[in-house]
Amino acid sequence: MGQAALVAAAEPPLVRVDGFVKRYGRRSAVAGVTLDIRHGEIYGLIGPDGAGKSSLMKAIAGVLSFDAGSVEVFGTSLVSEAAAELVKDRLGFMPQGLGLNLYAELSIEENIDFFARLRLVPAAALAERKERLLAITRLAQFRGRPMKHLSGGMKQKLALVCTLIHEPELIILDEPTTGVDPVSRRDFWLILSEILHERGATALVSTAYMDEASRFHRLALMFDGRVLAEGRPQELRRRVPGVSVQLRAGRQAEALARLSSRFAQVQALGAWIHVFAQDLDAAAADAEIRALLDDIPLDEMSSTEPELEDVFIASLHQKTAAPFADPASGQSFAAVRPAAADGAAIEARDLSRDFGDFRAVDSVSFSVRPGEIFGLLGANGAGKTTCIKMLTGIIPPTGGEGSVGGIDMRRAGRAIKQRIGYVSQAFSLYTDLTVVENVRLFAGIYGLTRRETEDRLAWTIANGGLAGYEDETAGSLPMGLRQRLALGCALVHRPQVLFLDEPTSGVDPVGRRQFWQILFHLSRVEGVAILITTHYMTEAEHCDRLALMYAGRIVADAAPAELKRRVAEEAGGLLEISASPVLPALALLRGSGFTDAALFGEHIHLLAADADAAGARLHQLLSQAGMTVGHIGRRPLSMEDVFVHYVTRLERGEAMQ
Amino acid sequence: MNLARVFTVAQREWREILRDRIYFLLAFLLPVMLMLVFGYGMSQDIENIAFAVVDEDHTPMSRDYAHHFIESRYFSFKGYLPDAGAADRLLARRKLRMVIVIGPRFAEQLRGGRTARIQTLIDGTFTTSTRTIQAYVEAINLAANAEIRAGQLARRLGLPPQRVAALMQPVVLDVRYLYNQEVRSIWAVAPGLIMLILMLVPPLLMALSVVREKETGAIYNVCSSTITRAEYLTGKLLPSVAISCINAVILWLLATLYFGAPFKGSLVFFAVATLLYILCTTALGLLISLLVRTQQAAMIISLVMSIIVSIQFSGLITPVSALAGANYAFAHAFPAMYYNAMVKGAFLKAVGFEVLWPQLLVFVLYASAVFFMCYLLFRKRTRT
Repeated sequence: MGQAALVAAAEPPLVRVDGFVKRYGRRSAVAGVTLDIRHGEIYGLIGPDGAGKSSLMKAIAGVLSFDAGSVEVFGTSLVSEAAAELVKDRLGFMPQGLGLNLYAELSIEENIDFFARLRLVPAAALAERKERLLAITRLAQFRGRPMKHLSGGMKQKLALVCTLIHEPELIILDEPTTGVDPVSRRDFWLILSEILHERGATALVSTAYMDEASRFHRLALMFDGRVLAEGRPQELRRRVPGVSVQLRAGRQAEALARLSSRFAQVQALGAWIHVFAQDLDAAAADAEIRALLDDIPLDEMSSTEPELEDVFIASLHQKTAAPFADPASGQSFAAVRPAAADGAAIEARDLSRDFGDFRAVDSVSFSVRPGEIFGLLGANGAGKTTCIKMLTGIIPPTGGEGSVGGIDMRRAGRAIKQRIGYVSQAFSLYTDLTVVENVRLFAGIYGLTRRETEDRLAWTIANGGLAGYEDETAGSLPMGLRQRLALGCALVHRPQVLFLDEPTSGVDPVGRRQFWQILFHLSRVEGVAILITTHYMTEAEHCDRLALMYAGRIVADAAPAELKRRVAEEAGGLLEISASPVLPALALLRGSGFTDAALFGEHIHLLAADADAAGARLHQLLSQAGMTVGHIGRRPLSMEDVFVHYVTRLERGEAMQ
Repeated sequence: MNLARVFTVAQREWREILRDRIYFLLAFLLPVMLMLVFGYGMSQDIENIAFAVVDEDHTPMSRDYAHHFIESRYFSFKGYLPDAGAADRLLARRKLRMVIVIGPRFAEQLRGGRTARIQTLIDGTFTTSTRTIQAYVEAINLAANAEIRAGQLARRLGLPPQRVAALMQPVVLDVRYLYNQEVRSIWAVAPGLIMLILMLVPPLLMALSVVREKETGAIYNVCSSTITRAEYLTGKLLPSVAISCINAVILWLLATLYFGAPFKGSLVFFAVATLLYILCTTALGLLISLLVRTQQAAMIISLVMSIIVSIQFSGLITPVSALAGANYAFAHAFPAMYYNAMVKGAFLKAVGFEVLWPQLLVFVLYASAVFFMCYLLFRKRTRT
């Protein structure tokens, strides 16, 4: 594929976007984007909600008009609706929202047939392609099942099949992986690569996950209607010089404060601290950090090449001159209270919940100590929200019990509700009220006195970085600020237990980091127990402890580093292999016992017990098959690797039974 | 126009309607329910009014008088009661709607040539029916009076009673009600309801089915494909029209068989007129769906439009000729008024093509114009 992309570079690009501008009323969605997509590549658009990805994709698909600039697809400039019609035969478009564009009442097969007939695919070709695609996606045995009864991963694959059934030369996929579990996501990328390779087609794919960057041949980082950086993933990582340093130090909060005074990007990841040392090499970074920490004992420290998210944020700092508000700065960490009391702040014992025949949560047990950040990690539909709803007393459990502060939630009355704060997934703010009005409303609901209210209002404005936005309506705030306001409202009555249900969905990386900074402060300084759910695998690293949820069950529960250590112990370290042609190489490896080998753009990742020996063996294996081996190197395990490992192990165990 | 693509859209739509329980109920149960509810609710005929008699006189004359009521088809006699107290209790429990109390000296007073007083107790909780009952009572009383007086005079003058009756009433009004001989209001209401329901349900179904696609994003499947605008709109229209045609048949059966309304006209004319009317109202729903974004908005706008047009501006309650100025013009801008005339004509007057063909032509033009507007409004490449 790498070669294909290089050869194709000489040809005219398949899609050429120049100075693209899109406005909705007075609001600007995309402000001047220029990019080319070449034949045969998977081109990525990465950015948070509201970055302008969807607008750009819709315009390229010919379903959205634009205000300035030009969009050229297959050499046809999409100047009018009529011009757009000319290219639609050759492209496929999958809109955002997992499987939402499919027809719920229709079966898998009927959905596919509909899309095919809409495109006038001849019956014989349809029959042949349908069988092939159903086989690749392993949906064949479910062909008669109505779409509404499919899991998230299956819906996503069906949507892909429906988009591909007329064999388009260009496919445009708008956030196909959002909210899908990592196992299905890996599956999806492999299927997409195979199909594109087989047919020599090109794909434009958007995602909100930074860690998916390595899946693309080339990509554009988008933010606020602009492209921050564009290029191959490796190039982008190198664009901002510097190293990424992970360290563990005593007096974490204090260490964090000292490092923040020197480095722009410092964040706490559970017990670890992550520093992006811009413009420094590993040795220089090491020296500077040691000097800064001074008397604080340093337990461990290592440096790696920077993550894309570091680069994204650094690029943002460069492009937008104004520095980002640092909500937690100016806070005194002197009053650090050791994670106080014994006993669990939140406890779940064999918690189960059925909806009809469907078991949404299956015997879930865990406990969260005061001052601990506990993460529930899983895909949409894994049972995370149901868990929270049972623990907050919103819905009763079918079995088991959940308690907060030692009190069973089924019997808890108003008293316990005073002790917990809850930020729900969808709705927790009144979007027509201003920032101040929202805080006052929540203060009123919890019966705070006037003095307490003013006190908490000032606290929320200061800690949420909301100064200057006091009289804006909540609905007009950017996602990041809105979530911090929601958090402030949930904290208005000083709860000792905080439940957060996907609070950072759709928030940009900068906003997410600021949000986590506040959470860190709450847990370490104020001793609040925090239970948070997320489907961002990278975000999970912020948690002190993590439970991986899959199909209503907890498949693993430990500190993130411990989870990684266990996987490394069981399955070995992660190897990255660059070989070409990459797809046959992948097939060969999978056939030779490396069943977990996965495709990441032009590279293959796999787990191997004895990394060095395995490296040599892999090299030999691939060379013998006549493939060119670029390099084989070790990579740190990601949370996604951990998740995939546990789930596949679980599935394998079930299959054997 | 590629018929294969039209058929593909229509078939998918049809399958979804049949399998989506809520939509299915909306499509097929709602019209029947409306017909039954409104059929009973709007019918102003009052018959079989439960009543009883308190006869404190116990004479042949008092029984004679009571008999005038007992024989009437409007009243249903429940028996004699011992006293007015029992009557009160039964009226309060709504077992009776009306009670006649004949005083103890009824026969004696009449024989003495004096005026006898009868008390009638009527349940006044429903004003309309109360007035109707009162009118019935007065009419029967009048007839009874005439008979009693004729009897008395006949005896006194020694003439036959018929002769006396003729002398007393020199002019007799002989009314013949045309088209609805028994002036049963359900006969007039049932055809009107077909008009109302076919104005209400088809736009609602149509508007929801398109806006739903906009909400889920399924509309992008259409916009990003090669299907033409006319093909898509036709494909969406067909299943809705088919559902409404099935409903029209059900409604016609309910009107004629269940409510017993007579159907005197041509079935072919009625079928053609109804099909065209459904095309018009469905196209209106399509128009609404292209102007709004959410299902709620589509539902509210289509219901408000349908209710106002079909109740106030169709001739259902007030004849259109009685509307003035702008209201008169407004009524003419919607198909309900024309169809109301057609459906009444077909049911009650046996009027058909020969008289109403201009209205049919209006429908053809109307449906084409609205559909053309939809075609212009629907864009595969939008601004938002």
